[in-house]
Amino acid sequence: MSERRIDAVAKATGIAKYSADIVLEGMAYAAATRSAYPSAVIESIDTSEAEKLEGVIGVFTAKDLPGGNLYGRRVMDVPILVADRVRWLGDRVAAVVATTREIAEKAAELVQVTYKELPAVTNADDAIAPNPVVIHEAPWDYKGAVAKPEMGPNIQALEIHGSKEKAEQALSKAAHTIEATYYTPGDHQGYIEPQACVVDYKQDGSLRIWATNKSPYRLREQIGLVFGLDPKRIEIMPVVLGGDFGGKGAPGEVPLCTALSILTKRPIKMALRYNEDLLATDGRHASKIKVKLGIDKEGHFVGGTFEALLDGGAYAGFKPVPTVNLHGIVDAAIAYRMPEFYVESKIVYTNNQPKGHMRAPGSPQAAFAFESALDELGKKSGLGPIKIREMNLLDDGEVNAYGDKWLEYRGKQVLALATNQPKEVEVPKGWLYGEGIAIYARSMPAVPKTSLRLTMQEDGKVVVEVPIPENGAGGQTVVREMIRTGLGIESDKIEVRQVSTSSLPTDAGVGGSRVSLGVTVAVANAIKAWKERPAGTNSVEVTTNEESDGPSGAYCAQLARVAVDPETGQLKVLEIISAVDVAEIVNEKAHQMQIDGGAVMGFGFAVMEDLLEDDARVWAQSMGEFKLPNMADLPKLTTVLLRGGKGVGPNNIKSVGELANCGTGAAIANAVTDATGVRIRRLPIKAEAIYSGMREGNN
Amino acid sequence: MKINFTLNGKSAEIDADPMAMALDVIRDLDLTGTKEGCGVGVCGACTIMVDGEPVSSCICVVGTLQDREVWTVEGISEKMPDLIEKFIDNEGMQCGICTPGQIMAAAAISSVDITSEEDIKKYMAGNLCRCTGYQTILNAVEDYLAIN
Amino acid sequence: MPSTKTEFLAPTSIDEALQAISYEDAIFLGGGTSTALLYKTRLIEPSRVVWLGALRDLSGISISKNEIRIGSMVSMSKISQSNELSQLVPALTTAAGVIGNARVRAMATIGGALAHADPRQDVPPALIALDAVVATKSSGGSREVPLAEFYEGFLETVLAESELITEVKIPVVANRRSAYLRYTPTSEGDYPTVGVAASVTYDSNNKAIKDVRIVLCGVGQTPILATDSAQKVIEGNANPESLREAANLVKQAVDPHDDERGSADYKREMSEVFTLRALRECLA
Repeated sequence: MSERRIDAVAKATGIAKYSADIVLEGMAYAAATRSAYPSAVIESIDTSEAEKLEGVIGVFTAKDLPGGNLYGRRVMDVPILVADRVRWLGDRVAAVVATTREIAEKAAELVQVTYKELPAVTNADDAIAPNPVVIHEAPWDYKGAVAKPEMGPNIQALEIHGSKEKAEQALSKAAHTIEATYYTPGDHQGYIEPQACVVDYKQDGSLRIWATNKSPYRLREQIGLVFGLDPKRIEIMPVVLGGDFGGKGAPGEVPLCTALSILTKRPIKMALRYNEDLLATDGRHASKIKVKLGIDKEGHFVGGTFEALLDGGAYAGFKPVPTVNLHGIVDAAIAYRMPEFYVESKIVYTNNQPKGHMRAPGSPQAAFAFESALDELGKKSGLGPIKIREMNLLDDGEVNAYGDKWLEYRGKQVLALATNQPKEVEVPKGWLYGEGIAIYARSMPAVPKTSLRLTMQEDGKVVVEVPIPENGAGGQTVVREMIRTGLGIESDKIEVRQVSTSSLPTDAGVGGSRVSLGVTVAVANAIKAWKERPAGTNSVEVTTNEESDGPSGAYCAQLARVAVDPETGQLKVLEIISAVDVAEIVNEKAHQMQIDGGAVMGFGFAVMEDLLEDDARVWAQSMGEFKLPNMADLPKLTTVLLRGGKGVGPNNIKSVGELANCGTGAAIANAVTDATGVRIRRLPIKAEAIYSGMREGNN
Repeated sequence: MKINFTLNGKSAEIDADPMAMALDVIRDLDLTGTKEGCGVGVCGACTIMVDGEPVSSCICVVGTLQDREVWTVEGISEKMPDLIEKFIDNEGMQCGICTPGQIMAAAAISSVDITSEEDIKKYMAGNLCRCTGYQTILNAVEDYLAIN
Repeated sequence: MPSTKTEFLAPTSIDEALQAISYEDAIFLGGGTSTALLYKTRLIEPSRVVWLGALRDLSGISISKNEIRIGSMVSMSKISQSNELSQLVPALTTAAGVIGNARVRAMATIGGALAHADPRQDVPPALIALDAVVATKSSGGSREVPLAEFYEGFLETVLAESELITEVKIPVVANRRSAYLRYTPTSEGDYPTVGVAASVTYDSNNKAIKDVRIVLCGVGQTPILATDSAQKVIEGNANPESLREAANLVKQAVDPHDDERGSADYKREMSEVFTLRALRECLA
């Protein structure tokens, strides 16, 4: 399938409509006054100066809210406007509505708040130290909470797999063990489109919302819950998403703007400046992971412990799953045969930015820790990085550490592919050269709920209405291609139309590597329904309700080739080779961009991205300080596809969206050790850390 | 204040606060292809072309556009269809939010000396993309330069 | 509270500009890459902005036998792409070509860059290494200040409030070589951890070294002129030992602080490494 993507022309000519492009008649603009302290009690709020500014329509605080004040994706602990106690610098304490965005922003700065400062918890360790500052008195009381009083204070979620006792017993008999602690920083999804929304509440109780949100049906449900509105009266309108990577799943400013639209009886628009987006949205959890791994004489795993402490920030409400946890942490050993494995994934409240989901939640952190530790063990035991992985990668028919038997395991094959590519990169003269490998495996998601409608118009055109937001991954193009091949209709006779939540019954939202799977199932069902439709009907509507084949999953092996300047510690990643386990590919170009984009994101996480969180502040206050990889920074990207796998669904596919960004950190860190002998256990990898390591003989 | 300039090949007169940012003024003219990204001149999503050179419209005071020749993606789509075509053919985009800026940067690439692929990368490095991994964007720019 | 409005003026002559600036808290606007940003984030709220882009007098580069004159409104892009300049003053064209991104280079002006006085900027050390002089005008008259004496502190210069940089003058010196190197270990698009400009001037026989200048950015509150290091190179006539000693001495001249681009200690070490490399590039 090589026809151009469905949205290409609209995006290349600038006519595609994003949330910030929406303008409604009579629309006013909102801006928030955010907390001046990471931890404080509000003593008083004086809005008079802000109200005096010409163009200000109203200034509102918690006491004005027309509905509930708490929202969240699962745990409802996030206040729309704080009434009493602020818990981080992004907390909203007041909101301004004005005739222009600039006036609203200026007025928001004029709101005078007096605070009584409280001690702040600035890192995850302090949150669980004896007698910590308690951030939420009774977090277990929040709707959707998984925290329990017996877990102690400041716990957002605690997920445990396996038995620590058994794992330690197994480790005590190991021939070789490694024990080390690894650190990763808070990160931002780095989408280029800052979060924005337009909310229009009508006096008849109906609500229309345009928002940078990838889960329209979930958003509808959440807003209904907070404001006591019938979700059927809430319509989430279709807009194009300017990047997501997990960051566009939370309600963002929609709850606030809903309140403001109800209060002012106007459509309300709020668009974050990127600086505010960096401060006040929900990025990737900073992690501290203590790993202990052991092998027997031959090199087989005997067991391991994996204790992760994650900084969840001020609220738990940005994580969408029922466990309120990051399954990437729990799944740390999924690629391997691992007899006794204990995982503890503890997410704590602090006064930092609350964290949510970012591309493969938990996995980049877990893979960095696990695959680095495995390399250290390979070195210590003398097996080396390849042999120790070969010894332990699962073979077909085996059961993984979580009790699942996948349809197939192709870790050994991708490992061989990644390590057998010719070396064509040039090493700068005098620099040290090294290679590092990392494996990442990911289980296939369940078939997500989605729906679509297929209608034949009188002119012979087929209109496919879909509920999936287009976040760039190309889901709508996949729909068209499947209809084209399935029904034998030319592309120009097919129109794929993203519709509002009022037009179709359901969708699970974009994310979790499930779009292609959900779409292929839904479209296959629609094609079947279309072919079997009763005579005289020109429209069919289907909803997915399938069990997944499997369990199954996919492997990705990454090899990093690096060079290090021995005089400075400067690291140049020369090449990232991604060997990827695939079945059928629905759209080759989109598939390749998921791998390239993933590897570049993994590269960024490894060597530069960092919110610079310290002292309960985000010091990366603009994109000038929060660095994302640019075209000149890039290593050579090489992809090797291991085709012919056993996929799932009607199109026999394996997910790819969250495969190539996870192992990259460890692959690069392992390559640095190979080049210099220096072991880096903290991301991002800084030239200075390598330099100091070389000077101190750290290895 | 009245500001006169050439916008997408046609003379334009606008009445605007001269200290407003060009990005906001242009978008208010319903030319919303110019996108706001970082807001600090780093990401390139708001790139426009002024007198043949790439400019960050988010940090460009509109009063400074008096008498100058300004192009946005809407105008470039008509003026340089082969450039647009190369981005479409190569799928030099995913979410598309950076795409108009990438295209505007590419449209102004003749303002600098390009003699190698490294030169292209250095020039295009000012336009961030979080989706594609840049390979398809680089291909699009190279294909465009090959025919121009 | 009334909304304040900033007046925007675009004078077409230097006299007009000087008249316009003598008003309350009026400020000059050059390319705007720094000023517009400060303005839109309300960090500055001037009553009047005097834009210099309509001033044709400030937008030219002229090169004579003895002197290069660059108008203060000339863009970094124009400087970096001048073949003549890259022959005469490669340190300058290199520095102007690596800053920010293509848009910043197109918009930012040399005068604006000097007035902004961010010690991480690449161009000032190159100009100081080339003995550049800043020419200014104000209602009180005109003056010329060697750039080496121009900076007083972080974001601070000797400029009076309503003083306008009109041009930068660089002497054309026979047998002078120059180079600029920057160290950006995290991303190409970053400010440098350290940048080093060096110039070496030989005598008329092109044998003995007459003059050396070594200037660093990113490692102090202002660009740092490392005179002791330069003296070492002259004394040793750039023999390998003198270069090493000179680079080592730089560590005493710089005054870096810890930030995300490196600890003070690391920046000091890197100052040595890149001073040596810049000198070698000059001499190569």
